[in-house]
Amino acid sequence: MAKSPLSTYGLEKTGSLASRREGFFARFSKHPATPFLIPAVIYLFALTIYPFLYSVGASLFNLSLTSPKPPSFVGLANYKTLLSDGLFYTGLANIGIITVSSVILEFIIGFSIAHLFIAISDIRASHLLRTIYILPMMVTPVVVGLMWSYILDPLFGIANYILGVFGVPPQPWFSSPNTALWSIVFINVWQWSPFLMLICMTALMSIPNDMYEAAQIDGAKWYHIVTRIELPMIRNTVLVGVIFRIIDNFRLFDIVFATTRGGPGRSTEIISLYAYRQIFQYFNAGYGSAAAVIIFIIATIIATFAVKFLPKEAIHA
Amino acid sequence: MPIYPFVMKSVKPFSFRWLAPAIAAACTFTAHADNVDWTTQLKKADGKTLRIIMIQDPWVKGFDTIDKEFQKLTGATVVVDSFSYDDVHQKEVLMGNNKSDSYDIVVLDSPWVGEFQQGGYVVDLKPYVEKDSAIIAWDDFVPSFQQVATWKGQYVGIPFGAYFVMFNYRTDLFQQAALQPPKTIEDFFNAAKSFTKNPKFPGMFGTALNNQRGAAVGQAYFEYIFNFGGKPFVSMYPGSPDPYADMTPLLTSPESIAVVQFLKDMLPFQPPGALNIAWDQRANAFATGRIAMVGEWSVREPLYSDPNRSRVVGKFGTEVFPAKQGVKPVPPLGGWVMGINTNTKQKDLAWDYIKWFTSKDTHKKFVLIGGPPSRLSVMQDPDVLKQSPWIQTVYESQSLTFADCRPRIPESFQIIDKVGLHISEALEGSVTIEAAMKAANQEIGSLLKQAGYKVSESPNQ
Repeated sequence: MAKSPLSTYGLEKTGSLASRREGFFARFSKHPATPFLIPAVIYLFALTIYPFLYSVGASLFNLSLTSPKPPSFVGLANYKTLLSDGLFYTGLANIGIITVSSVILEFIIGFSIAHLFIAISDIRASHLLRTIYILPMMVTPVVVGLMWSYILDPLFGIANYILGVFGVPPQPWFSSPNTALWSIVFINVWQWSPFLMLICMTALMSIPNDMYEAAQIDGAKWYHIVTRIELPMIRNTVLVGVIFRIIDNFRLFDIVFATTRGGPGRSTEIISLYAYRQIFQYFNAGYGSAAAVIIFIIATIIATFAVKFLPKEAIHA
Repeated sequence: MPIYPFVMKSVKPFSFRWLAPAIAAACTFTAHADNVDWTTQLKKADGKTLRIIMIQDPWVKGFDTIDKEFQKLTGATVVVDSFSYDDVHQKEVLMGNNKSDSYDIVVLDSPWVGEFQQGGYVVDLKPYVEKDSAIIAWDDFVPSFQQVATWKGQYVGIPFGAYFVMFNYRTDLFQQAALQPPKTIEDFFNAAKSFTKNPKFPGMFGTALNNQRGAAVGQAYFEYIFNFGGKPFVSMYPGSPDPYADMTPLLTSPESIAVVQFLKDMLPFQPPGALNIAWDQRANAFATGRIAMVGEWSVREPLYSDPNRSRVVGKFGTEVFPAKQGVKPVPPLGGWVMGINTNTKQKDLAWDYIKWFTSKDTHKKFVLIGGPPSRLSVMQDPDVLKQSPWIQTVYESQSLTFADCRPRIPESFQIIDKVGLHISEALEGSVTIEAAMKAANQEIGSLLKQAGYKVSESPNQ
């Protein structure tokens, strides 16, 4: 039997209270790491669980920050209104399109660039190039949005100027419903491809050379190597990165806010912008909280499915 | 509303015995108000810090220069924190809601006045104004801006930054094209058409309008609706005894439809990317010489005259904002007032600052370094007009404007944003103008009804 902390410090049991204390400490003795979790639990409760519960509570009230009237309990009315608002569904559909297309493109580009950097790893400048390539990831998204809004400005931006040099007519970028969403995807991919590049590169470098040599001896083409060796072998690592990106895309806000504010029309409306507008521009804290809770639930469902989809070895890696 | 009715109300009948000498004394003081002895008017506040929150507009730099004088007079340090439009609104509302005293003075835009009064976030300045009526000289403020600064009889703030949308045009190009500066919407349309894709004016576009989804195009609707002879709500029109008495929306009226049709018809005469143009883009397009005309808030005028940032210095003129033929122009009005945070513990110091900053003397100094003119005396001051001749157009605009040209109720932001969403959809063509305005009408009607305003079931159009 494990020695209790009480006896460790020379404290003998003196009755039933002491016995209970011993039991308490004995449990800690069995799981010595438990006390060390307390700070993390406090942190999690203060910054995640409490705000979430507060949001759930607020979502059940007609709570306006600018109204002198006290908040009134409305039950699920905010959710009912929200789920009958077409703009909310447009926001959901758009974020779905942005997420799927961004993650696919980020993976393809990240995987290709990772190969390139591995191929040139003998060159001294490769470290510098890699650092430069991952720079966009380190820039605040709102700065990225502002920067690209200048680059893609149809009148003064350098993008249309360069296209003009090659005889391509000026593009509307953010000002046409046909191109605005794809301009957002483009910026998102530009910023976050380096993240999947780093993950792909790490995973690719862990593949033993024997595999490549054996494939070459067997006469495998490059696409055989990619599809039959590399992708299966890096799958678990890359999936973790992909899940991160899916969840991250769900929180996308700054780029859209800095460039289009959801327009033209509804073409770049996204759910985070919808919730932001309700809470911080209209000050409808109750209704906005309902939107935030729905976003949280959807993100949790996606994350849960994604984690289930991962093999156990990837989770415990 | 002038201050005098309040002064009269506070005087008891027997006071008539000393009313005459009081008026004489006030007149004497008023005559010398331009040379106020601030050492006796302002209390010493050594070691104290006065914090002000405001918009990040071009004139904010002027505070650094001006505030040194206040610091010298009182010993207090003045800290000005400025933020973007949305941010400053958000921070001020949250500060009021959390009963925070992190700022002593809050600078409010005209559409927020009702929201802040109803929320109880600012002090009623009426007693302060009455106490220092000679220095404040309330009647000297632009009359429409006097109205903007008050809500339900409460003085929410003291005006200091009145804005008007003015019409700017390129004098050189109009001369070359033998055109007269537009006085009407029809002239504006024709001039915009004639400057666009015209081989005589290569690379030039007619104009740039606020077309971006949300507040930008939403505000554009409110800029034009009165100038098309329409009104956004049943009781909201220039001269209305109570603009908020009947808030039944009229967004499907022929005039409202005509405004959106006009915005759509103007798209071909604007630079590429017109659907994403907002305030900054339209001002920059004019300053860089790419458009022939722009309707823009008067606060941007110093930009056009700055040789470091403008290519149109000395090549532009200003006119009152145009209206449809046969309609009296209603130049859009906006701008800023200074209020005192209800929760501050430094109300007297805050008032000393406001009294000093908005006084005739300091206001003139502020205008001479780029501040927006808000007093009639300053708008007619020869020094000011010599330095900024466009202020003459501001003076002409102020007599025509309407204080409630944008609603000033707590729901104002939401109304403008919703109108902006639906007009944006109509401009990009995913729905017809009629369908877009019908949807806007329904949503805003229901929003206002829920908020407790009078909204008729069948809008009287």
